[in-house]
Order: sequence, then C-alpha cells, then structure tokens
Amino acid sequence: MSKVFIVAKRDFLERVKSRSFISLSIFGPLLVLLLLYFLFALGGNHKKHWNVLIADQYKILDNKIMANENKAITYFFADDYIEIEEFAHAKKFKKFDALIEVNEKVLSNKVGFVFYKEEPSSKMQILFRYHVERRLEEVLIQRFTSLKAQDYRKIKQPLNLSFKNAYDPKEESKELEAWGGFAFGALIYIFIFLFGMTILRSTTREKSNRVIEILLATLRPSQLMLGKVLGIGLSALLQMLIWILVIAGGLFLLRSTMFPDVFDPKYVQAMADLSKGLETGADYFSKLEYNAFVELVYDRIQFGTTIFFFLLYFLFAYLFYGAFFIAIGSSMGSESDGQQFVLPIILLFLFSLYAGYHAIYFSSDTQSNILFYLPFTSSLVGMVKLSVGFAEGQGYTIYLSLFVLLLSSIIMLLIAERIFKNGILQFGHRLRMRHIFKWLKKS
Amino acid sequence: MLEIQDISKSFYHKIALQNVSFKVNSGEIFGLLGPNGAGKTTLIRIINQIFQADSGIIRYKNELLKSSHLADIGYLPEERGLYKTMTVQDHAEFLGRLRGMSAQDIKNALNFWLDRFNIQDWRKKRIEELSKGMAQKVQFICTVLHEPKLLILDEPFSGFDPINAELIKHELIEMRAQGKTIILSSHDMKSVEEICDRVVLIDKAKKIMEGRVSDLRNEGRTGNYKIQFQGNMIAFVNALWINFELVDKQILSDDRFIATVAMRGENNFDSLLQSLIGVIKIESAHEDLPSMNDLFIKAVSERKEIADV
Repeated sequence: MSKVFIVAKRDFLERVKSRSFISLSIFGPLLVLLLLYFLFALGGNHKKHWNVLIADQYKILDNKIMANENKAITYFFADDYIEIEEFAHAKKFKKFDALIEVNEKVLSNKVGFVFYKEEPSSKMQILFRYHVERRLEEVLIQRFTSLKAQDYRKIKQPLNLSFKNAYDPKEESKELEAWGGFAFGALIYIFIFLFGMTILRSTTREKSNRVIEILLATLRPSQLMLGKVLGIGLSALLQMLIWILVIAGGLFLLRSTMFPDVFDPKYVQAMADLSKGLETGADYFSKLEYNAFVELVYDRIQFGTTIFFFLLYFLFAYLFYGAFFIAIGSSMGSESDGQQFVLPIILLFLFSLYAGYHAIYFSSDTQSNILFYLPFTSSLVGMVKLSVGFAEGQGYTIYLSLFVLLLSSIIMLLIAERIFKNGILQFGHRLRMRHIFKWLKKS
Repeated sequence: MLEIQDISKSFYHKIALQNVSFKVNSGEIFGLLGPNGAGKTTLIRIINQIFQADSGIIRYKNELLKSSHLADIGYLPEERGLYKTMTVQDHAEFLGRLRGMSAQDIKNALNFWLDRFNIQDWRKKRIEELSKGMAQKVQFICTVLHEPKLLILDEPFSGFDPINAELIKHELIEMRAQGKTIILSSHDMKSVEEICDRVVLIDKAKKIMEGRVSDLRNEGRTGNYKIQFQGNMIAFVNALWINFELVDKQILSDDRFIATVAMRGENNFDSLLQSLIGVIKIESAHEDLPSMNDLFIKAVSERKEIADV
C-alpha cells in the first residue's frame, strides 16, 4: 500500500506544483466571484416602470397614495375583492405588474400582501412598502387619533408586507434552489473533466516516455493505477477546497460590503431612519439593488449540507469517470491517439447536464428518479434533488444513490485495472475497440 | 543466482519465447544477445515480473522468483524513461522509495554517485534541462541507487559518447568485482567481448548458443594467425614458402600490411615467427580468433539459411 502512496504523492506534487494548477487555484475562484458579482449586480429585475393595482375593498386608502407621484410606479385602485387566480390570468389585469391587497384588518394587524407577476427588486419592494405605509399612517392619524404625524411615527409598528408570487402564492416552486444545485453538480463535472484529462495525459506521457517500464519493475499495475488516481484526485480535492474557501470568503466580503443582509441590525436602523424621512436611510436603500441570485446564494442554499454531499458526489464520481480516463490513457498507442475515445465521455457529460436540467423542472418524475441512481448522471441529478429537498421519509434515497455510485466506481476501477495492466506496455498501435475488448478478456 | 527454466511466452499468435533455459552465475557479467525481435526484452520483462510467462519457471537464489525479490534487482530498460519536469534529486528519491529505501539511504547513495561521476551540480536540475547523455547517466544512477544484487541492463551503452561508455563499462567491471551479478543485453559486440564472462544467444524466440565468451571464440578458431608488419609483401610471401599459406591480406599503406596466415603440416606459430624474423618488421602477431560479432552473425545467418531451405 505504501507504494500506492509514493506514486500518489508524486502525482499530487507534480500537479500542485504545475503552473496551470496554481493559476486555476487563484484565478478560477476569482473569476467565479466576478461572475457572481455581475449576476448579483446586473442580472436581476430591471423593469423600469411598475403598474400596481391596490385592491382596497373598504376604501381605507381612499384612492390616494403619496402626494408626489413616483415616476417608477403608477398606482391604480380597485374597490372590490380580486381573486389572486383572476389577477394572475385575467386579461383585464394584464397591464398590472403587482397587486397590493389592503383588507379591513390592515389598520389593526398591519399586514398586507403584494402579489407580483415578476419579482420586484429589493429597491422596488422598499418603495412599495414605503408608499403604502406612509399613506396608512396618514389614514390612521386622520381617522383614529388626534396625534401629530411625528408623534404617531414614534409609536407605530412597522408594516409587514409579505411578497408573494401571484402564480405561486404558496411558494411551492423550488426552481431557484434547483438551479443552485445544478450549478454545484455542473462544477463537479467540470472538475472531473479537467482532472480526468490530467489522468489521461499523465498516463499517456508515462507510456510514451517509457518511464512506465521502470515503474512496473517495482510495483504492480494496480498499485500504479490506484496511486495515480489517488494523487490526481487529491490535487483535485485540494483545488476544490481552495475554490470553496476563496469563494466563501469572497461571498462573505460581498455580503458585508455590497449586498448586506436585509435582516441585520444595520438594515433595521436604516429602515428606521427611512421611516423618519432621514436622507441616510434613503441613501442606504438606494444601494440595495438585489435580485434573485442574491437571494439564492445568501438565503436559499444550505451550504453546510450542500458542500458535504457535493464533496461525496465529487469523490465517487471522480473515481467512476477517472476509471474511464485511465483505461483510455493506458490503451493509447501514442499521445495523440485515443482522443477520439474521449468523445463518448464528453457525450456522457453533456447527457448528464441535460439530466440535471430535466431534474430542475421535474425533480420527482420517473426519469429523474432513474437518472438519480444512474452512475453517469447521479452526481448532477443528486445535487439538484438535494437542493430542492426530499419528501418526508425519502432522505435515505440520496445515500442509496451515493452507494450505487460508489459500487459502480469500484466495478469500473476493477475493469480499468484489467485494461491498464494489458494495455500499458503496448506501444505504437492504433487504438481500436477490439484492442480494449481483447485486453478486457485477458487475465 | 538466476535460473531460467523452459520459459515460453506468446502474444496472441506470435511466439516471443520458446522453452528458453539458461543459468546466470553469481558475480558474473552475463550477455543476453540476439537480433532485434529475438525475445530478449520479453525475457527481461518476465524476469522483472512486468510480464508473466505462459510456462516455465525462474529461480532466484534457489527460490521461485517472487515480487519481494524485485528489491534485489536493478533494471535499466532499453527505452529510457524519466519524468521531464522532475529534478534529479526528486527522481532519485521517488525511485529509491519505490525500491524500499529510506530517505537517509537515498541521500547517502545519491551523494556517493553524484560525487563519483562528478556531477553534484546536476542535483537540482530538471531532467528536461539535461542532454540525452546526461539523462542516461542519471538513469544509470537511479538503477544502481539501491545497490541491487542483480543488475539487468538493456543496451546500457546506447546514447553514451565513447568516454561515458567507458566510464559505465568501468563501473560494471567494478560492480562485478564487488560480487554483483549483471545481465547485459547489447548489440555492441565489442563491449560484450570486453566485459562479459558468459553469453546466451537468442534468435527467433529460441536459445541458439550459450557459453563462456573465451570458449565460444575458441570453438570458432580456424588455426589462422594475423601478422601486422612493415616491409615488402613479395618478400613476406616468399618467406612463407610451402610451410604456410597466405589466406588474406589487408593493405594499410604502401609498406604496411595485415596478413592472415594458415599453417601447413606440423608447422606452428613459433616456426612462422622464425621464418619471418629478419625478412619483415613484425608489428603485431596473434591468433585469428573469431570476434563475438563474427560468431553472432554466423549463428544468426546459419539459422536463417536453414529456415529458408
């Protein structure tokens, strides 16, 4: 076993000392952070003008809102009850982007609802909240008190405006989370491909410069193969950990500087300032141009669980696909030969991406369940399913999927060992499928 | 030391070795000879347990050869292979560890060999920075680093300039003096003749000749003598008279020749010299024994002729 570790150490060090590894470790995560920043900052809702219908059955707001009309929002009033389903689909409501429901209890419980057709940006949400709240304050002051507005504001409770998707008021759709899982799954495949190609190149290089013959005079082919897969796998794991640390650190920095938490004390203070009409609060909120990506990354992804299963899926899938790469590498007659045999693996990767995409929208259908256990696709589908969540009592299925993948990896490694053993000392031939089958049959 | 017994090996329909048997004695340099494709490398790979023989056995020190014996063997393959991006020291450490050496032993052995070849400044150099000959030297060091008892060298002199080839030859002779056993596969028959104690010749998967180098050469003796001299060729031929026969002559210059002479009747080398002294100036005179190269070509050609018939 110690010889396996000696080979693994050599391959690990060769990889981590290489310029490409160092560059990818530094620039890779920075590039991802840059991409995330752009998605956070630019990728959201940029609807310039909002038509908002206020359903005010009891005429509480008296068809009025804000003394100075805001250019970004036009408010319309309806004095009857509007069904959400009707608002979402009826032709007459087509021009409205959101419905604010003001019911008779709003004056006592301070609860209102905003049903949107397309999720408003955080800034827009704050404007809705601000406009409605200010109008309600006036109504309350007029109707029920003899207080001055300033005195009222001192004793008022904040209004809780709950934002709901008009098409999915119960928020059953987990599409956003599913895309998060897909991103993690895709990352697994990108890493496996990168490091799988490293296995392939390293094997063919050893074969073509004939160092393989010296190595095989000191250890068994299976030890060499295992050491190689282990060493390159560990370097992949190290790179992945560097990525996770740098990206996590970057996300933390972005969170504390550019995309602050709407629930943190700073936010609450600013909210209070805004409600007092102070400029500092308005300035603060003008920076909050959040979108779905910010919400996905900071609020919806459970990083602890996700990273745990991400690492397990990566590890097992790496062993599974690594076996393919090492089998091809050991069978090649020359360094350039055998590239054609990488094509089926690329097709499998593309199929896996499609499987993950399918699972985003149909995470529980039969196909997704089959693909969840199929070792070729299970990593991606598994990550999507994990992000969406499992029904009660179904949590064990992810362990079953991992077990199937691990078992398949062991079988694939055993098959690859046979091809490796018989193919590694064959030089100068033109690789054909019949060679692989011949080496498979040979003991 | 090493006993090869009825080893056969086929690759699909091609027979690489057929019932090959021979013994390598402890403390000798043993030549493994044969034309290209004869099966030498296959046999070496079987000894190194890279391949498994289809039939036959190999004994090492009277035990069946097993993987634990590989620690006693040093192997330099014909196709040299080193990791281009690794330094000389890293290479030595990697291969030394695979051979079961401790870090300290590797350090000491590497120091010894770098000093011996006067190449201490190569230690931190990457293989890709070295010339072919320099890399060959590094490979030789990596092969002998763990002080193997049995050294298997496939074409050890190829790629070396004459000075370095001599240096390696000298090291091999020194190792033999220390009691190490060396199996040498080479097409350089001059070197084989110079340093090998015994040889085996393999052709077309079969053993066709085995024995001590001196015995094999003596077996092929013709009784002719070679005389290198300065003087007149006609005077030389006259001096031979009817007791000797001029078989061949080689003109070196106007008055310098190498003549091959056969004895007639009871005449011998002494009487030949007596006949020539005073007639020409003898520069050298020795028995015309066949070289290993002659024996090699003769043996392989004869088999070819038999096969053609």
